[in-house]
Amino acid sequence: MKPKVAFFDFSSCEGCQLQIANLEEEILDLISIVDVVSFREVMKEHSDNYEIAFIEGSIMRPMDVTRLRNIRENAKILVALGACATIGGINKIRNQWPADEVKKEVYGDADIKDNRYFDAFQTKAIDEVVKVDYYIHGCPINRDEFKHVVTSLALGKEPIIPNYPVCVECKKNENICMFEKGEFCLGPITGAGCGAICPTHRSACDGCRGIISKPEVECVMDILKRYDLTYEELKSKSKLYNYSREANK
Amino acid sequence: MVDDTNVKLISEKDLDEFVNKLIDNKTYNVMGVKAKGERFVFDHLDNAKELRLDYDVTILPPKKYFLPPSEKLMDFNITKSFDIKKSKKSKKRIIIGIHPYDIIAIQQMDKYYLDSQKDDFYKKRRENTIIIGSDIQNVSKHSFAESMKTHTTYSGFDILLTNLGNKYAVTIGSKQGNDLLEKYGHFRDAKKSELKKIDKIRNQIASQYDKKVDIDKEEWSKYLVANYNNTLWEEKSDKCMSCSSCTMVCPTCYCYNILDDVSLNLKEGGRIRTWDGCLLKDFTKVGSGEIFRDDKKERYRHRFYRKGNYLPERYGFVACVGCGRCAIACLPNIADPCEVMNTLSSFDKSAETDKYFIKQQTKVPDKGTIHIPRSATIKNINKLTDRETLIEIKLDDNKSLGHSPGQFVEVSVLGIGEAPISISSPPKKDPTFQLVVRKVGNVTSKLVSLKPGDKIGIRGPFGNGFDIKKLENKNIIFVCAGLGVAPLRSLYLYVTDKKNRKKFKELKILYGCKEPCEAMFLDEFEELKKTSDYECKMTVDKCPKGECWEGEVGLITTLFPKIDYDNSKSKDTISVVCGPPIMYKFAIKSLKDMKIPDKNIYVSLERHMKCGVGKCGHCQINGVYVCKEGPVFRYDKVKKLPEALE
Ligand SMILES: Cc1cc2nc3c(=O)[nH]c(=O)nc-3n(C[C@H](O)[C@H](O)[C@H](O)COP(=O)(O)OP(=O)(O)OC[C@H]3O[C@@H](n4cnc5c(N)ncnc54)[C@H](O)[C@@H]3O)c2cc1C
Ligand code: SF4
Ligand code: SF4
Ligand code: SF4
Ligand code: SF4
Ligand code: FES
Repeated sequence: MKPKVAFFDFSSCEGCQLQIANLEEEILDLISIVDVVSFREVMKEHSDNYEIAFIEGSIMRPMDVTRLRNIRENAKILVALGACATIGGINKIRNQWPADEVKKEVYGDADIKDNRYFDAFQTKAIDEVVKVDYYIHGCPINRDEFKHVVTSLALGKEPIIPNYPVCVECKKNENICMFEKGEFCLGPITGAGCGAICPTHRSACDGCRGIISKPEVECVMDILKRYDLTYEELKSKSKLYNYSREANK
Repeated sequence: MVDDTNVKLISEKDLDEFVNKLIDNKTYNVMGVKAKGERFVFDHLDNAKELRLDYDVTILPPKKYFLPPSEKLMDFNITKSFDIKKSKKSKKRIIIGIHPYDIIAIQQMDKYYLDSQKDDFYKKRRENTIIIGSDIQNVSKHSFAESMKTHTTYSGFDILLTNLGNKYAVTIGSKQGNDLLEKYGHFRDAKKSELKKIDKIRNQIASQYDKKVDIDKEEWSKYLVANYNNTLWEEKSDKCMSCSSCTMVCPTCYCYNILDDVSLNLKEGGRIRTWDGCLLKDFTKVGSGEIFRDDKKERYRHRFYRKGNYLPERYGFVACVGCGRCAIACLPNIADPCEVMNTLSSFDKSAETDKYFIKQQTKVPDKGTIHIPRSATIKNINKLTDRETLIEIKLDDNKSLGHSPGQFVEVSVLGIGEAPISISSPPKKDPTFQLVVRKVGNVTSKLVSLKPGDKIGIRGPFGNGFDIKKLENKNIIFVCAGLGVAPLRSLYLYVTDKKNRKKFKELKILYGCKEPCEAMFLDEFEELKKTSDYECKMTVDKCPKGECWEGEVGLITTLFPKIDYDNSKSKDTISVVCGPPIMYKFAIKSLKDMKIPDKNIYVSLERHMKCGVGKCGHCQINGVYVCKEGPVFRYDKVKKLPEALE
């Protein structure tokens, strides 16, 4: 029996689902091992009979919470897909300000008071609302990792998601370290699995896969000094994806 | 001093031509040092013009060509019963521009990977590669190779190039190098004056090193042993981010991990070997969740001891060649061995050296290709408890496993992975054996779900088992806790066997587990009593209401006073102990109370294992490979070994 799989999206750019839709020929392999019963991005049909739910996006409103809890009840396995779902990601930047202020800034004087679609609270990652069984990190997700998780679940084994930092993959790619180029990189404290794609393409890691460890303050200060960087640079870097997010582990 | 008979001379232009001929020839894959931004890397050469022999140090050492960051060891198809293919042969390669310290690092790697259990994948690559070395022209400011005597080398290359201004001296290091030069190079013999210049240039290089280690490399081991508990490890590692960049870039770090991967259609798969690092937290994690080097201080310290104490004791060389790459890679700047040794130089160095190392000859099985399992078939599979299952396996080549009690095998389920499991049946002549498998994770869960007729892979037997000869004419006390009964069953079934029983004196088996429902082999113990004479005592930690249990209730230590035993027998008594890590301390205390000498106590230890043959580095307790020197150890040999029983 092929496991039944459904994809759902909340507040996100749907880029992660697009990564899956873009599997191209391999999409055929995917549907040969799982039964996709719901996937708005590629099909019209929908069913509530599924075992594995992939959730994209962050939770912003009471109505999202109700919908997500429903999905959790229907699904045996729930997988958070992409940074918005796994850590809140970009959507959490606005948590720097109270939700009401943000609404005022965005919608001005428009009358949204009793409209439940605009009833936004502070952004939440999926695991701040329901239990998440597996995480596919990244903004966007890494297709190979998605394949690894799907094949693992289909074979009935635990997916292996690295618990070590991006630097490991970065070193294997023989990149020049971004610090040597005078840029602040979140690689040492961000979970690997992306193949260190950003430093490999000459841009520092923004931590989209979530922070896995918190170095001692003294250590961070030493590094800033050694590479002539400022604390402000560090702060603005870590806000992009990991605002108010503690280390995952 | 340079030996003149094998030194030739080649002009700069002719060297370019030589390299271009090698490239155009297409017989070889030609790699060399190229610029990458401000740094340098070994990479594929398209033209001699790209070659930068004036480099200081490359980001990664050439180890990437012998132990690639990621390589497929075998292909398989999981829809077929047991279908594996070793990965294919590669084209012959030439690597141009390797510095002396990196050449020496490769020689060290040879010792490690080509010892009695050869790594066939490494060996093929090594045999397939021609090394054209280069004397250093520019010293990296982080390097301390001169202190390590690795800034020059007189062996380990096929050809070595030394820049003498607008021409190069070419030292021939092998017949292969000679043939290559004769076939593709335009050269002449070197003159006396030119030979002298080579030495002069090497001396000049030596004088360019600002960074110096205050402790001779022969002394590193002493200083390290004497300072195992120095506060330095804690102070430095406070800043460690556990990124393992220091091991990734190091030419003498070779630990690896192995994982199975399967394609999206769930048909083709591969077993992949990747670089791993002992500074990463999960490096020593086992199925139960325990991490043996959980504290970053321990991981940070381990790396220095491996370089300066463990490998030197085992192979006779300090496993640091002073390239300085780790000093560049470590962001908080704490990884540099030169700095650490210089800090240590102000401390004491007087302490016994063999404290952390077991010099023990072990049999290493040199059968088959490393990491390629033999095919085997599940004969019988019986659930013993909720978690444990007894599996009987037959080797498809119909040969006997040939194990001794206490040894283990690596069991493969293709597409899922591999796990070390103790052999639970006594030695036998036929090709079958038994394992007791506890379901904890991926491999073990899959194993217990298999059916008779299903195929699995077996490697081994591995490790040091019990020395049965030493047990003869002795009383034996078995202390088995939980799953520890699995390996000890191999031994007690052997000694209680009718054919062997009379070779041993009194036998006592103490067996403890958490609850009655977890007890294994109760019927078998009863059955044994009919044919063999031994005393057996059992206990459970607790017995929930309503469950039936005839043994004792309490920890395993409650059993010791209950056996028929007096201390006068102690000299003639051997005890073998196996169970969860936490139990050893208590069991050993009880045995000591019974006046059993330390050297009469044997323990079997569990660690994270991947290779089983002393290569991947995962199972190390300090300098000891549990997969090779263990898992069975004599207690007196490991009691002082830090990390072993703490
Ligand atoms: C010498 C020895 C003898 C053993 N004998 C037995 C036995 O008789 N019966 C039994 O049930 N179990 C035994 N174990 C433990 C068994 O090897 C682990 O439970 C098993 O490796 C877990 O693998 P998994 O894939 O099921 O679990 P997972 O948690 O999915 O494994 C995670 C990863 O960690 C590695 N790993 C986890 N634990 C260990 C470990 N202890 N040793 C090596 N690698 C590990 C695995 O290779 C895997 O990659 C023994 C272990 C050792 C070292
Ligand atoms: S570039 Fe970033 S990820 Fe790469 S090694 Fe440097 S800090 Fe680590
Ligand atoms: S390098 Fe960093 S920001 Fe880039 S994909 Fe990986 S985790 Fe995300
Ligand atoms: S420990 Fe550092 S200096 Fe020594 S060989 Fe390794 S990378 Fe080079
Ligand atoms: S010593 Fe440095 S490079 Fe090594 S793991 Fe620690 S922080 Fe990373
Ligand atoms: S060194 Fe690999 S398991 Fe021991």
